[in-house]
Amino acid sequence: MDAFQGLMSGFQVAFSLQGLLFVFIGVFVGTFIGMMPGLGPISAIAIMIPITYTMDPTVALVMMAGVYYGAIFGGSSSSILLNAPGVAGTVATSFDGYPMAQQGKAGKALAIAAIASFTGGTVSVILLMLFTPVLSAVAVSFGPAEYFALMFMGLTAIASLSDGSTIKAFISATLGFIVVTIGIDSQTGTSRFTFGNANLLEGIDFLVIALGLFALAEVCTLVLNRKDDSMNNNKDLGSLRISKQDLKEMSGPMTRQSFLGFIIGVLPGAGATIASFIAYITEKKIAKNPDEFGKGSVKGLAAPETANNAATSGAFVPLLSLGIPGSGTTAVLLGAFLVLGVQPGPLLIQDRPEIFWGIIASMYVGNIFLLVLNLPLIPYIAKVLRIPRPLLISLVIIFSLIGVYAISFNTFDLYLLVAFGVIGFLMRMFSFPPAPFILAFILGGMMEQALRQTLTISNGSFGIFLDKPIALTLIIVSVITMLVPLFTKKKKANVEKNIDESV
Amino acid sequence: MKKLAGIVSILMLLLAVGCSSQSSSNAGETNENGEWSPTQPIEITAPAGPGGGWDTTARMVSQVFEQEEIIDQRLPVVNKAGGGGAIGWAYIAGKKESPYHLFVASPPLVLVPLNGQSEYDHEDFTPIANVIADYGAFVVKADAKWDNLNELFEDMKKDPASVSVIGTSSPGSMDHMQFVKIAKAAGVDVAKIKYLSDPDAGGLTAVLNGSVDVYTTGVAETIEQVKAGKIKVLGITSEERLEGEVLEDFPTAKEQGIDETFVNWRGFFGPKDMDPAAVKFYEEKFKELNESPAWDEIRKKYGWGELYMNSEEYSEFLKTEAESMKTLLDELGLAR
Repeated sequence: MDAFQGLMSGFQVAFSLQGLLFVFIGVFVGTFIGMMPGLGPISAIAIMIPITYTMDPTVALVMMAGVYYGAIFGGSSSSILLNAPGVAGTVATSFDGYPMAQQGKAGKALAIAAIASFTGGTVSVILLMLFTPVLSAVAVSFGPAEYFALMFMGLTAIASLSDGSTIKAFISATLGFIVVTIGIDSQTGTSRFTFGNANLLEGIDFLVIALGLFALAEVCTLVLNRKDDSMNNNKDLGSLRISKQDLKEMSGPMTRQSFLGFIIGVLPGAGATIASFIAYITEKKIAKNPDEFGKGSVKGLAAPETANNAATSGAFVPLLSLGIPGSGTTAVLLGAFLVLGVQPGPLLIQDRPEIFWGIIASMYVGNIFLLVLNLPLIPYIAKVLRIPRPLLISLVIIFSLIGVYAISFNTFDLYLLVAFGVIGFLMRMFSFPPAPFILAFILGGMMEQALRQTLTISNGSFGIFLDKPIALTLIIVSVITMLVPLFTKKKKANVEKNIDESV
Repeated sequence: MKKLAGIVSILMLLLAVGCSSQSSSNAGETNENGEWSPTQPIEITAPAGPGGGWDTTARMVSQVFEQEEIIDQRLPVVNKAGGGGAIGWAYIAGKKESPYHLFVASPPLVLVPLNGQSEYDHEDFTPIANVIADYGAFVVKADAKWDNLNELFEDMKKDPASVSVIGTSSPGSMDHMQFVKIAKAAGVDVAKIKYLSDPDAGGLTAVLNGSVDVYTTGVAETIEQVKAGKIKVLGITSEERLEGEVLEDFPTAKEQGIDETFVNWRGFFGPKDMDPAAVKFYEEKFKELNESPAWDEIRKKYGWGELYMNSEEYSEFLKTEAESMKTLLDELGLAR
């Protein structure tokens, strides 16, 4: 069966009544669970697995895929409205989405996120359809050395994630690096900084950090400023309307990040999180007015939202064509495949073309459903902000606790969450940006592991990076992006100095 | 003052969540013949998150027990993830003598305590029955220069640092130890083996793109890639060849002249000092499960091998297993 026929049979699956119904159920449940602060795609998929036990595998997997990208699609809501990212991929969304909502433009922010998600999702499905067989080679082209270089590039974002002091941003990142070393060291099996506490052996979960540093710290600020009326004027949700100007601004990031996000998503292990961070920094780097970023920039919101959805489709490349899960979420999704007796891998496209193409075809339909489902709901979702402040604060706290408790059903994590809430609050009071902390936390673990794997392979020699063209290129690009601002700053300073002198 | 009230209410909420775990004290029914039978639901703990091997085994066992009405009680599965199992084991250790708490275990129950990462080891629990067995497979890229284990180990004997090995688990745990055990029997200096761990299951990727030479994993994980001709299996750790399409082509280490095996056993345990009558009850029920057609179907679906041991055989097996692992870990300098 050639690809075209395959795709046609896929559309037959997707457009059958059953197909349409279950794609709809999948994206509906996914987007709904994704919207809950603290619950992300992993919880959504885990909740749905038992339902699929007795279903036809094709239909079941079309639905599960819908749950997955639906959850990523909906995940932006809690980042934008409550500053409570439920999954690592939407942390970057909160950088500009939350300030925008604070400025009374919640409706617009959600609409931008929905359109960007739709674009990223749709463009990447086309790429997925055209290139999956070819890209499976790309997916395995990254060894530890290349991963290290990619993470290193991600780290250059630290400097650009600070609006104030760069030193404070680096201190914050250092804290993130310190925290991620807690737990069993994967390369030696030694436990580090666990103080004999078994609860710390597996390290601290991302959600604990994200909800602590972002959501709970925000809650503390709101509680302290409750008498300050200026914090309260965002009851105005703003209109949904996106001006032509906004659309024009969005189109650039959306086009670029659909491709970039997809390619990063194809690499197992990198995924939506790194795609969204890299999207954010590249757009900030090439923007004419980078100062707007972090203060409610349209581009700063559209870029990561496009990228994380594009990366989600990208993650299907290694999953479907190699049977390699690229992230915790796709690992659970792989489990869902296996439960249904379907083994994703190099043979899936030959043995079960209806499943392979059915999933891809259903993603077109699913993305349209998501857009149609989300846009009209925005006014209602945004009404969350109209909930009286004391009630909203309590709800955020409760949802954060539930989200964290649901990771491991362990109360110890709840104490950690509160502790990180306090740390986040203190960081805010002394204006240390939390974003570099979480970036370092996300990248640090993978980066350390990749570096040590690389050095084990090379028997300790750093020369290995010189032998790997991809790794070398990435490292050189990172170094250049770090050094260039230093020179331009100097130049600028010189120019200003000259002007001063001439005056 | 209001601020304080707010903080207090948050703390109260935390406490309420913390105290919600209940304990049971009902010891069940023992009739005049000394036969025990359960009178309330039996909780099966999977000391890991949903979706993995422990969780799947626990859920499938629970399903067959209930659906085939082998045990006339509900058997809910709970997940206690963390510490590579240590969190779940600590939970069961707290259920002293309870005949209503079982958990699923495999070699990590022996290895994790030996690595110094759990204060409880297999001797702190009552072995009830082993049900299934998995085996390890050593995999290289399809165009690698080695065609069998002997060629690989020959190169490793000359220069252990010339070959890199990757697995999912950390050094001193299963993926590493199954390789070490076989390599040692072949005469390789195991302390010098270059072992990398990739907890995100990137081992297969690393072998496919050539950054690492050998991937040590479970037999079932290799089938799809072997069928596609991307990798080859140099050897597996079972006593005899396995049954099934593709599986039957995998040579054992033993038939290649390396007299060693590694079993990834999986079975069920209860808290320490469980009532012998209750142990007997479960032993028989697991035997019945093991022989049921429904269970046979599940074994085939997941590619699990059969390995039933009753409580006594199981204790003996664990004893020798723990000793041999201890010796190996000592040699690697990983025992604590």
